[in-house]
Amino acid sequence: MAEQSEDAPLVVVRDVTKTFPRVTALSAVGLSINAGERVALVGPSGSGKTTLLNLLSGTVQPDSGTLSVSGRLLSQRLPRRELASLVGIIHQQFDLIPQLPVVHNVLAGRFGRWGMFRSLLSTVWPQDYHLAAAALEQMGIPDKVQERTSHLSGGEQQRVAIARAIVQSPRLVLADEPVASVDPGRAQEILQVLASVTEGSNRALVASMHTPYLVQQFFSRAVGLKEGRVEFDLPADRLTEAILSDLYDLSHEESSLHWH
Amino acid sequence: MKPRRAILESPHLLTVLLIGAVAWSLATVNWSAPLVHTGGGKSALRFLLALFPPDLSPEFLLVCANAAWQTLAFALTGITVAVIIGFPLGVVASGALFSRESRIRVPVMLAVRFVLGAIRAIHELVWAVLFVAAIGLSPLAAIIALGLPYGGILGRIYAEFLEDVPEEPLVALQSAGASSLQVLVFGRLPMCLPDLVSYTFYRFECSVRAAAILSFVGIRGIGYEIQISLGDLLLGQVWTLLFVLLAIVALVDFWSGRVRHNLLTT
Repeated sequence: MAEQSEDAPLVVVRDVTKTFPRVTALSAVGLSINAGERVALVGPSGSGKTTLLNLLSGTVQPDSGTLSVSGRLLSQRLPRRELASLVGIIHQQFDLIPQLPVVHNVLAGRFGRWGMFRSLLSTVWPQDYHLAAAALEQMGIPDKVQERTSHLSGGEQQRVAIARAIVQSPRLVLADEPVASVDPGRAQEILQVLASVTEGSNRALVASMHTPYLVQQFFSRAVGLKEGRVEFDLPADRLTEAILSDLYDLSHEESSLHWH
Repeated sequence: MKPRRAILESPHLLTVLLIGAVAWSLATVNWSAPLVHTGGGKSALRFLLALFPPDLSPEFLLVCANAAWQTLAFALTGITVAVIIGFPLGVVASGALFSRESRIRVPVMLAVRFVLGAIRAIHELVWAVLFVAAIGLSPLAAIIALGLPYGGILGRIYAEFLEDVPEEPLVALQSAGASSLQVLVFGRLPMCLPDLVSYTFYRFECSVRAAAILSFVGIRGIGYEIQISLGDLLLGQVWTLLFVLLAIVALVDFWSGRVRHNLLTT
């Protein structure tokens, strides 16, 4: 694989536009993210945060513009195994298989590395078991390995989803609203783990966020989106409640203008 | 083309056709002739009265047990053959093994669906007559006669269950690097397994009844004994055999309930 030079950005988003029927979700967005960065996407709902995350995950293609991770273009032609080594996403609804034991949901992060034989063997004899056990240990739920996933609480399921991302170990970790509907104490724990997943290494984290103090505490950079455009791009510690409410209110005024 | 399709697919057309069919069939009945043949009422009464008592003599119960065992064995092997035929064909027919972009996906799905439709379009009794004619009165004829149409039914329903699972967890598996096979084994199958199992048990129950009926083409079992007892006008025995059939179906129902319960809770 043609790796880029050391100091080239890990993620490059160039002039990306994405339109859904009657809604422009992103328009001419450009962004570059270096390894080691933890980027918080902020903005009101409908500002394009989730669309940008989906584009970065490579599962949705832009109408125009390009996205690349580690020098590889995120196109439909990129083999899924390679894509899985580049990007991993933790969805807001976690999207686990509820009927499976936890261990299989975690080990799904290894699927890109397994062949057919190993996958089938894993149904009776979980492969790379130690990796799953270690990830669950890191997430603080080592005793849930064999539990049926649907029996876990919402918070525990979220940890399983993060454990899957840990064993998948991609260069870029994406998290859609990782601390939505979570109490403040738990939010701290989850962000701690997400931050540690991408710590110091050649990886990066991008997550959609709403709370300024959590962004300041756990992220290095804050990107504000409004109606599909990058409104600001600040060091995280300069993101204040005032800037954020400005972002939200402005969009509110403008959208009401559109209605009249 | 569009308006014509709309007429063909309209629910009103179906309603009119069905009402027409019922009206036509009623019109063909000769209402002036007696509906029940002379003495029919009397023999129906005799049949009902034979319920008191059914034949519970030890020798006959032994015959019943033997017949029940044969019927159950035919039903069980028949449904096993049906699963062996229906599962792989159902997986292929669901399209789960191909990526959406694959050009052979739709042709292969349609071809397999056609095969499934063809083998279930023919009733097990007709298959039985065909196989008895081809390979003679052997248990093999009965098993294939059961397995083929049931395999067609199972395959069709399996394909629908496999298609009809929530999409998001599958997309999450794919973005973690899963292939179509991995998505099938670790996504689609576990999500619809309780449905697959409970439908298979329902069909097993049906196959018990079908296996009893297959006696009418000369295969041993409960239906065969019913035929003999009815021929000898031993109505008490007929009742006993009917109760045995009921008991087997109840047993299968109980068994499937237990298995489903275990699948949903562990």
